[in-house]
Amino acid sequence: MDEAQIKKDLVDMLGKDKVLIKDLDLMYYSYDSSFFTKLEPKNPMAVVLPKSTEDVQKVMRYAYDNQINIIPRGAGTGETGGCIAVSGGIVLDLSSWDDIVEIDAANMQVIVRPGIIHAKLNEKLAEYNLFFPPDPGSSQMCTIGGMVANNASGLRAVKYGCTEQYVLGLEVVLPNGDVIITGGMKSKAIKNVSGLNLTKLMVGSEGVLGIITRIRLRCWPKPKARGIAMAVFDNLDDAPATVLEVYREGVLPSGIEILDSSAIQAVNQFKPEINLPDAEAILLFEVDGNPPGVEYEGNIIKEVAGRRARQVEWATDPKRMAQLWEGRSVTAAAAARVRPDGSRVFAGEDISVPLSKVADALRAIRALGEKHGVQVVNYGHIGDGNVHTAPVINPENPEEVERVKQLVDDIHLLAIEMEGSTTGEHGVGVVRRPYAEKEHGLAVKYMKGIKQVFDPRGIMNPDKLF
Amino acid sequence: MDFKKLPPVQEQIMKCVRCGKCRSVCPVFAEIRNETAAPRGHVFMVQMLRDGKVDPDQDVYDHLANCLLCETCSVNCPSGIDIHELNAAARSYVYDHHPTVAKELIFDALWTKPSLLRTSSKFLWGAQKSGLQSLARNLGLMKILPGDLPKAEGILSSVPLRPGRSLVKEVNAPRGKKRFRVGYFLGCGTDLFQPQVAKAVVEVLTRNGCEVIVPRDTRCCGMPHLANGKMDTARKLLAHNVKIFNDYDFDYIITDCGSCSSALSRKNIKFVLGGLKIEDQALAFADKVIDLTVFLVDILDIKLPDNPNAEKRRVTYHDPCHLANAQGIKSQPRQLLQRIPGVQLVEMAEANRCCGGSGTYSITHYDLSMKILDHKMDNAMATGAEYLATCCPSCMMQLQYGVKRHKWDCRVVHPIELVYEYYQSLPEIIPVN
Repeated sequence: MDEAQIKKDLVDMLGKDKVLIKDLDLMYYSYDSSFFTKLEPKNPMAVVLPKSTEDVQKVMRYAYDNQINIIPRGAGTGETGGCIAVSGGIVLDLSSWDDIVEIDAANMQVIVRPGIIHAKLNEKLAEYNLFFPPDPGSSQMCTIGGMVANNASGLRAVKYGCTEQYVLGLEVVLPNGDVIITGGMKSKAIKNVSGLNLTKLMVGSEGVLGIITRIRLRCWPKPKARGIAMAVFDNLDDAPATVLEVYREGVLPSGIEILDSSAIQAVNQFKPEINLPDAEAILLFEVDGNPPGVEYEGNIIKEVAGRRARQVEWATDPKRMAQLWEGRSVTAAAAARVRPDGSRVFAGEDISVPLSKVADALRAIRALGEKHGVQVVNYGHIGDGNVHTAPVINPENPEEVERVKQLVDDIHLLAIEMEGSTTGEHGVGVVRRPYAEKEHGLAVKYMKGIKQVFDPRGIMNPDKLF
Repeated sequence: MDFKKLPPVQEQIMKCVRCGKCRSVCPVFAEIRNETAAPRGHVFMVQMLRDGKVDPDQDVYDHLANCLLCETCSVNCPSGIDIHELNAAARSYVYDHHPTVAKELIFDALWTKPSLLRTSSKFLWGAQKSGLQSLARNLGLMKILPGDLPKAEGILSSVPLRPGRSLVKEVNAPRGKKRFRVGYFLGCGTDLFQPQVAKAVVEVLTRNGCEVIVPRDTRCCGMPHLANGKMDTARKLLAHNVKIFNDYDFDYIITDCGSCSSALSRKNIKFVLGGLKIEDQALAFADKVIDLTVFLVDILDIKLPDNPNAEKRRVTYHDPCHLANAQGIKSQPRQLLQRIPGVQLVEMAEANRCCGGSGTYSITHYDLSMKILDHKMDNAMATGAEYLATCCPSCMMQLQYGVKRHKWDCRVVHPIELVYEYYQSLPEIIPVN
């Protein structure tokens, strides 16, 4: 179908305020935060900014009838090219549809539209002494819709798990324009095992099945107290061993983060005043809950970590906690600035491995960096074996780009080989699609079959996942 | 200078990982709500320009110019990118391909010549008083003006008759023992629109032992030119001012305007004059430039005599972007206000969120600017303050318009005005030494 006609039809259907069709405007939708789109930006043929389920239905029916690809997009903070119209199509930018439909404090849940920003939702929930626990590093900018579509998690997944654990129900517009409600049409129940669990199917489906237009989330009471422990290790293996021992003592911290020597160096180079101790690894534990419980668990962590660590500090004073956590909070920025003539790139950045193999994985990644001549900075959520690797290169140097591509391929293969996954929380999108067969085997065939049921014409976010 | 060889263009574009942090803090994005207004989008567009993927045409300019240059994105960028510099450089590059008569007239013929600028403002005053302006409006003549100026005329509606320069002498002797010899960089905004501030600056400084020189040939700091794609003109203006001020032997060069001090700062000089012969002289000049409130608090450590009968004033403070974001100056203006007996400082929410004025932005993008202003006014009015203080004449103009627009009984002031008024309220003025 003629693109000019499609553009005209969309404007006629939704009005010019909800549709972008100028070539220049469309260029802004050619990227997300992935290295992939830095190298290969792709413009959609149009962008629609829906503000209602009906808007989405109209576009879907039109796209279905005319066999046009539909690509949902939140804030475009993803690192996988998941929201890019790789082989053309209409991008649905859902980020400005951000209403909080209802905060049902009595039933510990909230109903939102997909564009609400994570941090803004939690700001509102705090007024009711509630919170939505998954805590991605991009809290200030990512949308809840994007989090659901990618089953995002983050710093507190150790204790609170991923987004999927909090999604009670969804409204989804399917490619043919049908609207389904998962988790019960009228349900406000927290527990619900009736029917096939389509909610769980939709969470993390990365937009290949339908458009999520309404989200019912479970909220939890906001913890009253928090404490931070920092432990410094001369031996990398002692870090995961300590994590395991803390668990064995019956303590489940809300977050456990690791900085390996590459991250420590990067932080000190970026902000010398932080002055992290020179070490093989630093662990940061966050404990939350009620004040006596926090103190009790903090003391256990201090004692357990002290068995192997060169230095341990436990703090509940907000100022000192912020100081201890500062090294972790600037790691991402430090990785970006560690080389004056280069930058970090988001590629191979999210593998997850069994807890028992974290130290081996960190060592292996450093060795791979050396092999390919690429500086790497490693940090991540060690509590659940999720390693974030930041390759630092000059992204405008083709030779370095080639080297980093090889490094990233090796990192992904390493994850599978170590009985892990190519992605712990960022998703597959375009960039990890080549590993689907290797990671899932025959299961991919059934994944494709499920997609076929929802999306028989293959218009929903093609080129992603598998 | 070749746009593609400018340091931020060469070194910083590649550092953008498009994390989107800038989206979450940008006041323009907060209103437009689609990616075309995201600061990372501006970085992307500058890259496209650099790589020849888009033509430097008016459409690209309009996208880039839909930005306040408030630097909120730059100061929050995890990769440390000076997004505003990239944007300003690109605007200039595009503008050079498509110059307009109106901009040449305003920014080259008029805004580079203080006397002509003052004459024009007198004409504007006369036009307002005589009704010529409404006649022109009725005849539709205002419509030939650039941008949204016809809509925005209300912002310019209170041009005073006498500029600041006519209210202060060139050489002003200190009262009491001389402590410092300072040059007063009297910028266009204060000179033309807030002359009472100029008078207060000179009075307060001389009263605190400063010999104050107001060089007569001071020209615009160049900030409006940078914002409007006239980087070459900004370069010439800066070079001129450097020469003028370096001819004196000042201990400090004071500005009362956040935008001026930002334009005259080391950082901006490196951006605008970097690599040119004059760079070293300009940096020596920049090292003497200091914001008025920083000078009063950190250098002079101004102490105001106590007066139990001092008028009680409830004051809220708005952080000008070029002071707070560009230079990190937030505490001194507040400290100065708190040193004035009778002043009760009440913080507004989001005090460092842009007011939407941004020099000429309120004129070129009136409707959007008003949305940003309304957000600011909601926060300001919630404080119940009687005074809305800020350290930038352009913000003052915008906020004065906001106060009028919201029919709020509140006076917009520069903190120095309250200091000066306090001195005047004292029964006897004693030189402070």
